[in-house]
Amino acid sequence: MSVVEQAGIVPIARRRPRPTVRSVTVRAVGTVLVVALLVFMVGPLIWLALRAFSDIWPYPRFLPSDWTLKWWHSVFADKSLGNSIKLSFEFAPVVTVASAAICLPAAYAFSRLNFPGRRFFLVSLFATNAFPKIGLYISMAGVFYTFNLMGTFLGVVFVQLIGTIVFMTWIPAAAFSSVPRSLEEAARDAGAGPLRVFFRITFPLAAPGIFVAMVLSFLYSFDEAQGTFLVGIPNYITMPTEMYTLVLNYPEQAGAVFSILLAVPSIILMSLVRKHIMGGRLAEGFQLR
Amino acid sequence: MVLPPVAVVAVFIGFPVGAAIAYTLGKTGGPNSTVALIAQRQHVAKHGVTLGAYREVLGNSHVRGDLWATVWVTLLTIGVVVALSWAIGLYVRLSDTWIARAVSALSVIPLFIPVVIASYSILTFYAAQGFLKTLAYHTGWHSFPTLGYTMWAVVIGEVWVNVPFGVLMMSSGLNAVPNALIEAARDSGASLPQTIRAVLFPMNVIPTVIVATFTGIYVLGSFTVPYLTGPSAPNLMGVSMSQFFQSFNQPQQAEVMAMIVFVLAAGLGTIYVWANMRAAKRASQTT
Repeated sequence: MSVVEQAGIVPIARRRPRPTVRSVTVRAVGTVLVVALLVFMVGPLIWLALRAFSDIWPYPRFLPSDWTLKWWHSVFADKSLGNSIKLSFEFAPVVTVASAAICLPAAYAFSRLNFPGRRFFLVSLFATNAFPKIGLYISMAGVFYTFNLMGTFLGVVFVQLIGTIVFMTWIPAAAFSSVPRSLEEAARDAGAGPLRVFFRITFPLAAPGIFVAMVLSFLYSFDEAQGTFLVGIPNYITMPTEMYTLVLNYPEQAGAVFSILLAVPSIILMSLVRKHIMGGRLAEGFQLR
Repeated sequence: MVLPPVAVVAVFIGFPVGAAIAYTLGKTGGPNSTVALIAQRQHVAKHGVTLGAYREVLGNSHVRGDLWATVWVTLLTIGVVVALSWAIGLYVRLSDTWIARAVSALSVIPLFIPVVIASYSILTFYAAQGFLKTLAYHTGWHSFPTLGYTMWAVVIGEVWVNVPFGVLMMSSGLNAVPNALIEAARDSGASLPQTIRAVLFPMNVIPTVIVATFTGIYVLGSFTVPYLTGPSAPNLMGVSMSQFFQSFNQPQQAEVMAMIVFVLAAGLGTIYVWANMRAAKRASQTT
């Protein structure tokens, strides 16, 4: 061992360890696993997307042998499919606005006010996450008959609303909490009334979080299929519920075209709020504190 | 101010679930009167309650098959999702290469895709003429099994849908472990597996339990994934309860199945609450 090494200074050329059998295997296994994950996560989506443009796809070929756009024309020409697209864009805004109207005041209260039973109410909202969804929808559908909500617009709104309550309360509550109280107090000192403080200071600063919650709510309603299917049929068939019948009754290519159409709003809206979700806010919402 | 959402939860969850419990025990009055009018094969209790509907449903061998399928698919999905989330979370936490970033980006893709489309694409990918069969054919494995319309496709679908939540949860938990702690363990001679076992794992019990619980509850309550990718029978309880409700016109039996699924979910929920309470106790003891 040289003097340099004894002194704890490793010559630069020796820093990178020589590849051993072990390090090569570790790296190879790592690469294989990453490729496997890539195929597992993205493969099905690409495979389906290709189908939307395929005319003839004989097995076992990796790509279609003939390409076409005719499935796009047939989907756009189909009245019932067009109708379901329209319905989806009607339900999603209604559910989002209703959810915001119901939950945003509560979000503010949970964040800013200390009142008896606060914890109990908070946990009771989380009950919506504790029930397996389809069992809950079946229970709801049972009493919906009595209140004439089966097969109605309102019934579908209620079914979709339930799934949005937790994040419509939780995310805006976190947003309200992140507004520094000192700012509000400063505005108060300058003579602003409580309402003015809320609309000029608190609300604008919390707006991004509220926006995220509204986007997620819109997407939830837009993508919700099983509850809508149970309560809405036969009168209200939205895009995702249409997929159930589409898969069985139409050629695969039409299903693929419709899938792409249904995925586009999701991808666009989700990309808008991606940073917020990745930041761990979603994860925080599941810790009981 | 907090009353509106709490009222919505009480009216649309508390009340229907209460009514459903009464209905499954043979109470056909009040909120259940309309559904009881159109239902077939009902068990009605004239006085007190009857367990007839439960006896009939649990005595049905098809339902028992569904129940068994539900239990093993749920447990297997929980196992795979927890393992995958830990593996991806650890990889992203301990390595800062572009591959690690690519892996974490890949694992959240399902968030962007509606579940209906995910299920449909998974069905075609693993179908008789799907990618996996094609790949196996070209590598000379002609007898490769078709996974589409089997319970394996259901497990694949459930895992695919639940991976983002697991990864986000585990990454946020693992990121909360300070670098100094990991380095201290490594400096005192702990190998990577030892560090994971002695430092990272004990500090991430709660996120792990959360991933396991909510993945389990999701699978128990799922309809779209098993309906589109699974076999006609036996399939998950979610599919059969919808069939009993809509196709067979036996809502009482469907609600009995809902209750069975609720009980299974409550079992998972108990573990979650217990883990949270234990962690809170520990925290109060140490501080």
